[in-house]
Amino acid sequence: MDWQVIPDNLGFLLKGLAVTLQLALMAMVLSFPLGTLAAMARLARRPWLHWPAVLYIELVRGVPLIMVIFWFYFFLPIATGRSLDNFTSALVAFIIFEGAYMAEIIRAGIQSVPRGQVDASLSTSLTTLQMMRYVILPQAFRNMLPSLVTQFIILFKDTSLAYIIGVIELTRAASIVSQREIRPFELYVFIAVVYWVFTFALSRLSRLLEIRLSHRA
Amino acid sequence: MLLVSVNAAGFLGLSYEFRWEILFQHPYLGWLVEGILTTLKLSALAWLQALIIGVLVGAARTLPWRFLRAIGASYVELFRNIPLLVHLFFWYFAAPEVLPHAFQDWLVAHGIEFWSAVLGLGFYSGARFGEVFRAGIQAVPHSLIEASASTGLSTVQSYRFVVLPCAVRLLIPPLTGETLNLLKNSSLALTIGVAELTFMTRQVESYTARGLEAITAGTLIYLALCLVIAALMGRVERRLAIPGLIARGITPES
Amino acid sequence: MKRSAICLFAAALLVVFAAASGRAETTLEKINRTGVLVVGTRTGSPPFGFYNRQNEWVGFSIDLARLAHQKVEQKLGKQIKFELKETVPATRIPLLSSGAVDLIAGTMTITQSRRESVDFSIPFFVTGAQLLVKKGSRIRSLKDLEGKRLGAQQGSTNERIVREKWSKIRLVVFQDQPAAFTALAQGKIDAYTNDGVQLAGLKAKAPNSGNYQVVGDFFSYEPYGMAMRRDDPDFRLLVDLALMEAIEGGEYFRLYDKWFGPKGEVPYPLSPEVRVFLKYLVIPR
Repeated sequence: MDWQVIPDNLGFLLKGLAVTLQLALMAMVLSFPLGTLAAMARLARRPWLHWPAVLYIELVRGVPLIMVIFWFYFFLPIATGRSLDNFTSALVAFIIFEGAYMAEIIRAGIQSVPRGQVDASLSTSLTTLQMMRYVILPQAFRNMLPSLVTQFIILFKDTSLAYIIGVIELTRAASIVSQREIRPFELYVFIAVVYWVFTFALSRLSRLLEIRLSHRA
Repeated sequence: MLLVSVNAAGFLGLSYEFRWEILFQHPYLGWLVEGILTTLKLSALAWLQALIIGVLVGAARTLPWRFLRAIGASYVELFRNIPLLVHLFFWYFAAPEVLPHAFQDWLVAHGIEFWSAVLGLGFYSGARFGEVFRAGIQAVPHSLIEASASTGLSTVQSYRFVVLPCAVRLLIPPLTGETLNLLKNSSLALTIGVAELTFMTRQVESYTARGLEAITAGTLIYLALCLVIAALMGRVERRLAIPGLIARGITPES
Repeated sequence: MKRSAICLFAAALLVVFAAASGRAETTLEKINRTGVLVVGTRTGSPPFGFYNRQNEWVGFSIDLARLAHQKVEQKLGKQIKFELKETVPATRIPLLSSGAVDLIAGTMTITQSRRESVDFSIPFFVTGAQLLVKKGSRIRSLKDLEGKRLGAQQGSTNERIVREKWSKIRLVVFQDQPAAFTALAQGKIDAYTNDGVQLAGLKAKAPNSGNYQVVGDFFSYEPYGMAMRRDDPDFRLLVDLALMEAIEGGEYFRLYDKWFGPKGEVPYPLSPEVRVFLKYLVIPR
């Protein structure tokens, strides 16, 4: 085993890590509004809101992430008429994919807010949107924070799939170096450690949040 | 209306002739079927492995011995936090290298790609199943555990006859979710050369240049498989239900 | 009154839609509009498109694509951005048809069946499928591989030939070259098939190149060409002219020497037949 291959290529590998972080953070932030809208649409009573939301959420949750990535990689350029770089295609695919999963987390969060809150807000003549914005969502958000962090951890790991369409994130960077140097053991152990460090830190954060929130509630 | 919609498609710039009959021609249909079978085989074997690991890890994390709890927790933290793709590359490229050459050659001759995928998927899902089992065991009403202790059952016996059977009923819904995840995750095996369903849709697409049809077929098949599995597990849940055991909402992350 | 207003409105809509759904735009129009020429190429196929020791994306096909880029800039009379995008055999035609890339400049073989989906430039390189094996292997041809394991890339012509004509060979199909080559290095496959020149490139770049050999007669004829969307004669003419001018003027041979010469990335001498073949591709003005 020759661990020298890691320091020799550290710059390239770290660039891959930067892309991974960029992809994960942007996808998380941008999928949140999408998920919120989808969750509210699913909870709506009007069929023209409810059924498209159900279709979107159940369709995306029923197929592997790889399929969603392929869908956007091939069809986004057809729909928009412009070519997109790999990063953007992957980002859009992740946003759409995460949006559906976020929608379910947010829906659970909204439904966990006591019914009394809904009744109280309606009785003070707030509109549905105002009620959502000022009463329900803030409370729901507090309840779902641990689940959101968990979902972010999952997303962080899922960024490795952008490998398949050529995004040079951490896993692909390791693969490129591995082809040149044929040192798969060292390289894959290294990136396993890197992924582990980040996700472990995030899951500790989630545990901390859970404890703090249960003290407050 | 028809005229408007046809012209609208042209307006969007979509000039694509759908030819669905390609999917049913030989050999493409055969490939898709082969892909489905490989996906099911891979998922079933990994599921069994994950189930066994999950029970052991979940139980270990709830037993009164700190040493066992530490082992269980370490397993989950380690295997859950590393991406599945890295697991697969590890079991295919890295792990076999430490084995003796004769064993490696034997593995290579007997489908190493498939078995590396089973191992990688199984160990990864085992960590997630472990969390489901842990939550299920922790959701068993404490009164039951105390009652079994008071009838003189040892810890192991009470686990075997009271706690686990009870937990199993409680955890079927989250287990269904994780099983579906396992099925969807099996698609990553294509990166180490396993000819499963997603691989086959890409194969059909590269031979026929009919991307839309191939990917649509793949999507619909995954949806159908997920529906079937969810329905099956729903039936299992109903058959096993213990009247009077109130199902509390539990999540694997709790 | 109301009825005729609705009819008029519907008719107007139809006219708008009908006018808008004219012919699809040509590649040159698209490049002009977006200001970018997107070229699809390889990242793991030295020396056509690969990452060198400084982790820069370079290659022979990329350099040739730049010649086409210069011609496009000349023709459109403005600065056009040159952008690279990775493509592998399984994705390149869909990416081209969907408009994600405008030109494939990598290691794509011109074949009759591919001509049904895309157009090609004149050939810019000639090679054939061979086998890469580890030193000491007794494999010399496809016949020796019957019952053994052969690695290939999903969607490549080599994979197709083996699958169709040599069913006794056990194919292991990977998504990209790094995975396949690592598998060969570890002995998980007995041989890896790809076009001879790409194998020569892999061997040249391997950490211990003496450990590998390229064996076997060409079991296919692989003329490489640049691919573009069908029915786009203007763009195709530009690309062909760029290549012809390079062959006639000597730039092509300078680039060939840079990458395939004795001091190049992958030594692969130009045979006299191929030299003559290329010269005859240049049609008179």
